[in-house]
Amino acid sequence: MLITGIKSRPVYDRLQPMTGGLRHLIAGQGSGGAAMLRLIADMSPSQRQHSTLLYSTESFSGHDHLQALRELKVAGLEVFPSNQALIEALARKLNEAHMGTRLYLSGSESFIGTAMQAANAVDLNRDEVLREHSGTLVRRVWCAHCDTYTENVTHRVFTCPGCQLDLVVRDHYSRRLAAFQGIKADGEVPGELPAAEELDT
Amino acid sequence: MNTHNGTLSVRVTRIEQLTPEIKRFTLNDPQGKHLPAFSGGSHVVVVLEEGEKTYRNAYSLMSSPYDSSAYQIAVRRVDTGRGGSRLLHDQVREGALLQILQPANLFPLAKHARQHLFIAGGVGITPVYSQLEELQLKQATFELHLAVRGPEHTALGLELKARYGEKVHLYVQGQAARMDIRGILAARPLGSHVYVCGPDSMIDDTLDSAHALGWTDSHIHYERFVEQGSTGQPFSVTLARQGVTIEVPAEQSLLEAAEQAGYQVPYLCRGGACGYCETEVLEVEGELDHRDDWLSEEDKLGKRKFMPCVSRANCSRLVVDL
Repeated sequence: MLITGIKSRPVYDRLQPMTGGLRHLIAGQGSGGAAMLRLIADMSPSQRQHSTLLYSTESFSGHDHLQALRELKVAGLEVFPSNQALIEALARKLNEAHMGTRLYLSGSESFIGTAMQAANAVDLNRDEVLREHSGTLVRRVWCAHCDTYTENVTHRVFTCPGCQLDLVVRDHYSRRLAAFQGIKADGEVPGELPAAEELDT
Repeated sequence: MNTHNGTLSVRVTRIEQLTPEIKRFTLNDPQGKHLPAFSGGSHVVVVLEEGEKTYRNAYSLMSSPYDSSAYQIAVRRVDTGRGGSRLLHDQVREGALLQILQPANLFPLAKHARQHLFIAGGVGITPVYSQLEELQLKQATFELHLAVRGPEHTALGLELKARYGEKVHLYVQGQAARMDIRGILAARPLGSHVYVCGPDSMIDDTLDSAHALGWTDSHIHYERFVEQGSTGQPFSVTLARQGVTIEVPAEQSLLEAAEQAGYQVPYLCRGGACGYCETEVLEVEGELDHRDDWLSEEDKLGKRKFMPCVSRANCSRLVVDL
């Protein structure tokens, strides 16, 4: 059931200016701020003037690039205390944005995945979005039994906070749910749990 | 339905003269059965025999994808063409049987679009007909901008205006302002898609305007009036799988010459657009004359790939994997 080499996990990019775009939305979180700073440095003055930054200070690893981001000469910087708040604001901006807008995402897999749900809702395609992963590959897990999402899962077996079942984290990433699938760990033989190894974070 | 060697026999049950150049043909199964289903933007290839010659012309299906009791195609008479449209206009009467190939779709709708914009010129409106039927049923947001050359060419545009009202914008040359493609595409919400079918200048204008406004290629869809087949200098070609060398005469394409020699080559659009007949060049001494819209510039320069439906060669030797 557990496979190695996760084919369903997205292949991430390196952020670089998308030259055809007229407006640039750059959203990042925690340690993803470093990629945002590098992207802005690579941009032309005109691209910077048409760039809006969204930054969430929520971080699993404790990285914070807010001070450096504040010093950039861009069209705007909006700061959010949580990834959830940022993604809600991003969804509103995308809903009002025009063709010609490019989206750049940097941060954890959970952040990028949930931001992509907002991007997919407005039919942004692969030639309009770049995603750069930063930090660890801790997993966001969806419980197949009670529909609860759990952030920052690092071990193969964990207890779902929603239904208290012991779940095994499968190596299958759902882009639609932006999460790995978790299923009852001892479903085959009650009481027989798989090894509680550390995930490839 | 009757199929014979992959073709479908249909009866012409109605012919309408819509404009001075365009006739609409309604096609039914001879036994009154249902025809194969199709999706918006599909076309059929009509196979016409005239003496020694065989024409295979692609025409968009303009009937509803939700009604498989009949197909409709519109045929513009092209006097300077190779003869297929003249034959349909002059020889084919109501009641006649035609051979067609099963529908194929090289111009499908973008399923996740938030808004669909259609830009069409003249007979380029035909693939849009079935697409609008599909979008209307799905209650999707769409707009059509159609340009025609004069009041005598407005029949299809008026028919669509009666059906879809304000969503249809008709530009009649000499009567109203010209279509402003850049203006149509400006300030559209994310997730908009544009589909353009018409003369090359209209397609190029749409591509340039969209790119200037920052649109990416995944949101731009176009279908050129493909010039089927090709003419030029004769050349000879070796079909490696058949182990034969055939001559391609001045007025035929490699595909047509191979068919006439009795070899079956897979094809769809016959106009260098769809990529279905792409073949590998095994040996070449000389220059290839690529005439398709399918291969990338890199592929064309690489001399490894070739489109038998339209491309030609100026070679002392050419071996292809057919």
